[in-house]
Amino acid sequence: MQNETTETKASKPKYGMWSNSAFMIRTAWQTCKSVLWLCLAQAALAVAMNLFELFVAPAILQAIEDAVPIGRLLWIILLFAGGLMITGTAVSYVNLNTIFGRIEVRMNLANDLHQKFSTTSYPNTLDQKFLKLLENAKRAVGGNSDPGEAIWGTLTLLLQNAAGFLLYLAMLSALDPILILIALLTTLIGYFSSKQINNWEYRRRDEEAKFNEYLYYLDQKSADITLAKDIRIFGMGSWLNDIYNKTIRLYHVFRVKAQKIYLWSNIIDIVLTFLRNGFAYAYLIHLTLENGLSASQFLLYFTAIGGFTAWISGILTQLSTLHRQSIGISAIREFLELPEPFLFEAGEAIPPASAYELKLENVSYCYPEAENETLRHISLTIHPGEKLAVVGLNGAGKTTLIKLLCGFLDPTEGRVLLNGQDIRSFNRQSYYKLFSAVFQDFSLLAGTIAENVAQADQEMDMAKVQRCVELADLTETAERLPQGLNTHLVRSVYEDAPDLSGGQTQRLMLARALYKDAPLLILDEPTAALDPLAESDIYQRYNTLSQGRTSVFISHRLASTRFCDRILLIDGGVIAEEGTHEELLALGGKYANLFQVQSRYYQEGGAEHEI
Amino acid sequence: MKSEEKKERIEIREAFHLNWRAIGIWWKHYPLVFLSSAAFSLVNALTPYVGIWLSARIINELAGARDPNALLQLVIAALVSAALLSFLKAVTERWRNAQHAEKHVKVYKILTDKFLTMDFCLVDAPHTQDLYAQIRQNMQWSGWGIRRIPDNFEAVINALCQIAGAAALSVSLFTQMVPESAGTLVVFNHPSLVCVLILPLLAVTILSPILTTKADSYYASCADGAKKGNRTFGFYGFMGYDRRRALDIRMYCQNLLCQKYFLHSDNVFTTKGLLAKFARGKVGGLYALSSALSYVLTGLIYVYVCLKAYGGAFGVGSVTQYVGAITSLTGGMTKLLTTLGEMYTNTPFLRTAFEFLDIPNQMYQGSLTVEKRSDRNYEIEFRDVSFRYPNTGAWALRHVSARFRVGERLAIVGKNGSGKTTFIKLLCRLYDPSEGEILLNGIDIKKYNYQEYLSVFSVVFQDFQLLPFSLGQNTAAAAQYDAGRAETALQEAGLGKSSPLWKNGLETVLYKQFDDNGVEVSGGEAQKVAIARALYKDAPFIVLDEPTAALDPIAEAEIYEKFNEIVGDKTAIYISHRLSSCRFCDEIMVFDHGSVVQQGTHEALAADEAGIYHQLWNAQAQYYQ
Repeated sequence: MQNETTETKASKPKYGMWSNSAFMIRTAWQTCKSVLWLCLAQAALAVAMNLFELFVAPAILQAIEDAVPIGRLLWIILLFAGGLMITGTAVSYVNLNTIFGRIEVRMNLANDLHQKFSTTSYPNTLDQKFLKLLENAKRAVGGNSDPGEAIWGTLTLLLQNAAGFLLYLAMLSALDPILILIALLTTLIGYFSSKQINNWEYRRRDEEAKFNEYLYYLDQKSADITLAKDIRIFGMGSWLNDIYNKTIRLYHVFRVKAQKIYLWSNIIDIVLTFLRNGFAYAYLIHLTLENGLSASQFLLYFTAIGGFTAWISGILTQLSTLHRQSIGISAIREFLELPEPFLFEAGEAIPPASAYELKLENVSYCYPEAENETLRHISLTIHPGEKLAVVGLNGAGKTTLIKLLCGFLDPTEGRVLLNGQDIRSFNRQSYYKLFSAVFQDFSLLAGTIAENVAQADQEMDMAKVQRCVELADLTETAERLPQGLNTHLVRSVYEDAPDLSGGQTQRLMLARALYKDAPLLILDEPTAALDPLAESDIYQRYNTLSQGRTSVFISHRLASTRFCDRILLIDGGVIAEEGTHEELLALGGKYANLFQVQSRYYQEGGAEHEI
Repeated sequence: MKSEEKKERIEIREAFHLNWRAIGIWWKHYPLVFLSSAAFSLVNALTPYVGIWLSARIINELAGARDPNALLQLVIAALVSAALLSFLKAVTERWRNAQHAEKHVKVYKILTDKFLTMDFCLVDAPHTQDLYAQIRQNMQWSGWGIRRIPDNFEAVINALCQIAGAAALSVSLFTQMVPESAGTLVVFNHPSLVCVLILPLLAVTILSPILTTKADSYYASCADGAKKGNRTFGFYGFMGYDRRRALDIRMYCQNLLCQKYFLHSDNVFTTKGLLAKFARGKVGGLYALSSALSYVLTGLIYVYVCLKAYGGAFGVGSVTQYVGAITSLTGGMTKLLTTLGEMYTNTPFLRTAFEFLDIPNQMYQGSLTVEKRSDRNYEIEFRDVSFRYPNTGAWALRHVSARFRVGERLAIVGKNGSGKTTFIKLLCRLYDPSEGEILLNGIDIKKYNYQEYLSVFSVVFQDFQLLPFSLGQNTAAAAQYDAGRAETALQEAGLGKSSPLWKNGLETVLYKQFDDNGVEVSGGEAQKVAIARALYKDAPFIVLDEPTAALDPIAEAEIYEKFNEIVGDKTAIYISHRLSSCRFCDEIMVFDHGSVVQQGTHEALAADEAGIYHQLWNAQAQYYQ
């Protein structure tokens, strides 16, 4: 079809229209069969309804014209009214019930997308192509009118229009074929010319999506409690307003332009309808005058010609809608089929061991599309039970190193070995089971404190939860809340959820890591939001916390590193210095310098006079 | 409590009042929405009748005299009028579509305008956020609330036009008499027989919208249940797409929980949900019944009209006209009543919307202006201030008295949750004290004009935000800015020209959210821009809430060293966990459990071994000695 050129200039969808329809039918067959039955019922009822409506007036007029006995006339009326009532009632009942199954199918697809994104190999989440495809796929399942649900309406209408077309064609075949030809021709011309025009907005859908993104963002920000402070102090209200108004204005211009262009398709349509109806009138009146066609037959045929063109344009419109929706469905399939660089189920199980040794062997890492390597030729062995500290300035590559260790990223060069075996060969999900981690960015669940510690909403070991909460020094906070450990978190879901401070959240994350009780403990800046006493307290507990585990502690507060067996200083993508605190101070290098910068404010008679 | 409110009977008067008010709001902001709607509805409702009338004439002619000339004229009239009316309809429809396109945006604008002008404490109140969430939810769920008003308006106009047109076309049905020759059918001439048609017509027109309104009310009754489900789903259904959660999700297998919520059996919208149950049962039944009734009526109309035609009152062509007109008449009346029913059902949703829009600002505002002093000689005093957050029992601040003058450096320290940030919120009058007063140059701050009072402060909050717009706009917190001042502020804040944020100068867009050429901002850079924003404002008081938390030791040291210079002759109030910053301050206030427990210079406080400050200091300093 010619329309493909305009719609797919960026990237051609991998799957065609019929393949995607089949995919959706398969999906519905597996998740909610009633969707398919209801589609069939809807189409059949609609066609039946249409036939009743077509014949009711002519049949009754015919009876009056022929002056049939009154009883017969009443029977005819009863027959049609009864038929209309039964089908009409069924139509309204069925229509009401179609939506739920369709939502269910869409939710299943949305879940597949969500699961894929939440479990996909981590590097995929950094890949722009992957994200772009995700956006397209998500858009296809966003709401009732998006392809993942709306395709059912399209398929139903397609079926209904095709059936109607064939029935009417048979009916009109009694007339001159030229009439059918003209009906066909005017409809086709009208369809294809207005299609070009009506595609205007569709071709610019990204532009429109942008407006909506902007406006949605501004809505959110205006209601944002955190930003509300900034808005008031800095008078940012008028800034947001300016941008809001400007966007609305541009959006309005966009819409007006679209509507002006669409008017042309209306005009074309009006002209073609004029021609078609003119011809139909002339032809049918000619038949009436010359061949003695009755008035009721005239009415029947005239209505049928109108109906016939409606079926044709219905088929064409639905085909083009289907084609459009198919692009979205294809995005869903393509996204779900994107390859996973990591091994999951197909990977080896982790051989059970009493101790785990992690080894980086000449590891380099370069982020996709980055010019320089973030880490270069790092070799490092982390011995079982060792407490390792990683320090360095912001952007030195500390977090990248952790991501490599945890198996979120695979090195671009070199290997990461677990007890001598390349971690790439393992089932990555079971590899993650080896780690208890507190990262800088965290994911709080909309559930109780206990659920957040246990990371489950059932089968929690409450005694263990309490122990971990105690260890993370969160007990006092929890006890002060009305429902203790059963207090729900996340205000957007639970209206009465308390706001935990940064420090309290960090402790919660620590408790969670302890509950998981994995052999390797990773702490990425766990004290950044804590007050000095709490920070110091965590350091003191650190020995207890990491008892029997291998641990890696990342920080730019050098004070913390005292408790570690070994300190790595990352600078410029390499391990610049390595040793114990004392060794590194004695070395007099970068570590010593950093330590000096931080400590001078704490030493008596310190830096105050230098300023 | 909320569900009780919903169940409460809605007074017709309230329904009328609220709908009227909502129409007023639309009319005030967007009058063209109504005008375009009215024009379109008028044309749209009346167009079919021209066709009905002309084609009836044609059929009558065909069934009767079959005069070619008369037919020609009628056909031309039908074709031309159809074309003209279609054109008129297209023009009005396009106009209307353009005006209606951004309806949701327009409603949100009304809501966000309210937010932007609300007292901070009201924005912060859970009730406000909850109302807003409800309004959004109602709107997204099925377009309930203010958004529905233009649609209702259009439907009413459309229905009224439709009724008027149909009435005009069907009057002659009753005036044309069956000739005496028709025998028994003459009874149709009897006026009481008109009732045979009118009564069921009225009954059905009234009954069928009552049934659908009743059916809709079952759906509306699910709104509360849907809300809870929606909230949970809104969280778990999208949690995984938040990339900041990516590591945790993988490490703690959180995706399994999400899946559970996705495929949850009691999801209100799927086949096993409550709505579906209603649709299969009560609601479906009511809808079916309502639709069945209207077809019974169609049958009656046919019987009445056909028998009259059969009796010879009018030609067969007129049968189509009368059946068409009366069907359309009942259709119009049903539409009118359904719409009115909808407006009635919409009342509680409007009530919620107005409850939000009517939230009164509570803070007293005086009219005093703040004297613009070139010597910046301002003095602030807290006089026995206590504060409790609304709806909480515990005091966040208790009997705080403090006084500080311009040019001073003040540090506020204390454990997490000791009241430091609350103190700042009161200082900036984001909240008013529950007890005591705060004075600026000896006058209660409530007596100043609020905007004037705020002009005295620049604050970098711990949870400040930058927006995904240009660097310059972010620095100035405004769409228009003074480029020179913005650059100076950024440089003073330490954002060196080598930073990627300068890629396109002040025009560089921050973050990639809206612009692929945008620049991602690191925590340290963000903090510098936030500090620059505070400097750009050039207020006599500058408050820094934990300004170095995201910085590494070198950057932190840099800020400390430049601190005096950055702040210049302004008063600086500095909240920090890093006590090292206190060394720069003239005075330190130590907060504990909402009270100021110690106050003095670093040396004095550090020397007091019984004090909390000594403890805090040593907790950090021990590692560096």
